Amino acid sequence: MNHSAWIGRGLLVAFVVAAGGPFDIPLFNTPKAPDAKGQARLVFAPSPFGIAVTADGRASYDIQIEASALPAPSSLGAYSAYVAWAVTTDLKTWNQLGTVTNGHNVVGHAELNKFLLVITAESSATPKVHVGPTVLHGTSPSGWLQSFLSHPLFRGIPP
Amino acid sequence: MSRTLCIALCVLATARGAPAQVKPIPKKPGTPAMPGMGAMPGMQADSSKTKRPPSARPGATRDTMTMDMPMPVPMPKGMPMIPGLVGLLPPVAPFLPGAGMDLARLPAAKPSQVARLADGDTLDLTAVLVRRTIKGHSFAMYGFNGQVPGPLIRVPQSATITVRFHNRIDLPSTVHWHGVRLDNRFDGVPGLTQDSVMPGQSYTYTVHFPDAGIYWYHPHVREDIEQAMGLFGNMRVDSPERDYYSPVNREETLLLDDILVNGDTLIPFGKEAPNYALMGRVGNVLLVNGEPRYALRVKKGEVVRYFITNVSSSRTFNVSFGGAPIKVVASDVSRFEREERVSSVVIAPAERYVVEVRFDRAGRFTVVNAIQAINHYAGEFLPDVDTLGIVTVDANRATPDFATPFSTLRANADVSRDIERFRPFFDRAPDKTLTLTVATNALPLATVQFMNVDTAYFAPVEWVDGMPDMNWLSTSKQVRWILRDDSTGKENMDIDWTVARGSVVKLRLFNDPKSFHPMQHPIHLHGQRMLVVTRDGVPTKNLVWKDTAIIPVGSTVDLIIDASNPGSWMLHCHIAEHLGSGMMTVLHVR
Repeated sequence: MNHSAWIGRGLLVAFVVAAGGPFDIPLFNTPKAPDAKGQARLVFAPSPFGIAVTADGRASYDIQIEASALPAPSSLGAYSAYVAWAVTTDLKTWNQLGTVTNGHNVVGHAELNKFLLVITAESSATPKVHVGPTVLHGTSPSGWLQSFLSHPLFRGIPP
Repeated sequence: MSRTLCIALCVLATARGAPAQVKPIPKKPGTPAMPGMGAMPGMQADSSKTKRPPSARPGATRDTMTMDMPMPVPMPKGMPMIPGLVGLLPPVAPFLPGAGMDLARLPAAKPSQVARLADGDTLDLTAVLVRRTIKGHSFAMYGFNGQVPGPLIRVPQSATITVRFHNRIDLPSTVHWHGVRLDNRFDGVPGLTQDSVMPGQSYTYTVHFPDAGIYWYHPHVREDIEQAMGLFGNMRVDSPERDYYSPVNREETLLLDDILVNGDTLIPFGKEAPNYALMGRVGNVLLVNGEPRYALRVKKGEVVRYFITNVSSSRTFNVSFGGAPIKVVASDVSRFEREERVSSVVIAPAERYVVEVRFDRAGRFTVVNAIQAINHYAGEFLPDVDTLGIVTVDANRATPDFATPFSTLRANADVSRDIERFRPFFDRAPDKTLTLTVATNALPLATVQFMNVDTAYFAPVEWVDGMPDMNWLSTSKQVRWILRDDSTGKENMDIDWTVARGSVVKLRLFNDPKSFHPMQHPIHLHGQRMLVVTRDGVPTKNLVWKDTAIIPVGSTVDLIIDASNPGSWMLHCHIAEHLGSGMMTVLHVR
């Protein structure tokens, strides 16, 4: 690993340690892009009310992604772009957000209570469905909500 | 557990450090911290009395509890009470208005009436006990001039009126003229601008209205009780400009509120200190203009201008009108630079928004508050929709037809011009910074344990009270909400800020997500106006003058304060129980 890669990894670790607010998403790489690094931040979409939500109350976020050390998409196969997706936690619905390159990206908009943020290599910048390999992925902070069904504090309470 | 979640939890555990050490609840054997509620004069008994087990926790003792009534805290659907909290009571005596009075002899609350006042006029405003009937149950509560909401004070811009306030309730009180840039002497803050007005006493306010728009008045003493029990009303200040707003067919005033009841019983307040100190008191019956149902009948195509105020203690609303198109026009202290289409109106405690709604087809439009609650037990979001009212639209077409002005999104060049001279200050470094956080001690062990494990995620906004058992038990004796000056480390009233009259102050607020219990805070500055210029580094594109701004958990918000009004002005969280738990400071403008 070269010097800048170490710095990059250090910055990523620093980010992950600092994470914990409701707006930050550490992104993790996969074996397809083992040196890739990334982080995302949720920012409320512009709203006259300061807090952007849909009419049914789901938060409305613009998504910013910082990525580095992404290899050329073509190095992974017949791919030309990296595409970010907001994916429901049951993996049924993949909402295309936009393309991602190394550096700062504002990729689009998510209005899901919990979601996965997935970046895949694709054959175009606007694929109809995701088919390529995943290179980075993370979970919305709300995905960290846990069930306490089995926690001792609630033991004995029927679910 | 996924790798991501494992890492996230490890990271959070590292970042948050070791759990805070807490002291045990002070316990005086044989001396209940909260006497039997049913025995307190003037308190209504719970008709749903059932015997409750001493504790669901094997071996638990009933420290601090002697209530003869069942746990009065209604839990949300699907959210059980933590066994370790069963049987505990908040360490305060219970309080409800009208102790010892015959409910039947109290006058029934009347709906709000308009008090049109001209420059130089005088109004008598009397806080009294009233009988309110909500969903078939009658309660002793408060009202101004016997009305809930209090009289809608309607004045022309630049008017100065005299208000003779008479306190005829059973608590000390004052009147704060929220959002009005008036003479500091009449701001209504006990201990800062005046003494409390004791029961039976009076106080005369001079109120000058320099800005057009919608404002509201409420006590600044034990807001958690007095405001929650009905002491609030609007002030509408009319601009001399005929086209200040677009033409509409009708204007309506909506005061959004909630109340916490269990069957036919109001949940008592803490007598010597607020309880519900963690999240504020979030009601389980939503109210519009003091009633559980709002009803309006309009004609097809009518455009209605709504002046909306959130007078609740803690609840942030997300209001929509059955799919009818909405245009947001103005907020606390001015119109927006540009009108905008919105799908719903998000309004935090103490905020105001002016919106226009066009009911463009015949039928029924359901006005709802729709949010995504969190079930902390199941770790899931839960869609939650409350009906606030119904707008019935007749088939007859409204005249005049204001479809065209409604479809036009006006730009208010005068607002932009007024803001222009403040723009050079937007990008400069903050003059002041505050971190919003909390300190606790002596909370029940089960509360501490739960909070320590339920910290993987904090919502930017808590829309409902998902943990009312923990919240009910917390008082301002155990919870201290904090505004911390980052430059000095001083907190709340120890902060000593003085700025020059006429200066422009950039204030940065950071709502620390790593505190024991982070929560959004609607921060209110008295007597001045301010702009929210960035949120989390993103510049606000459409500015409006505010007096209250919501700071979500984890957010950094930059405010530009027009410090033009001399005096000593409160800056505080407008969640009544957070204010009652210390979250306030003073900005001196000299």
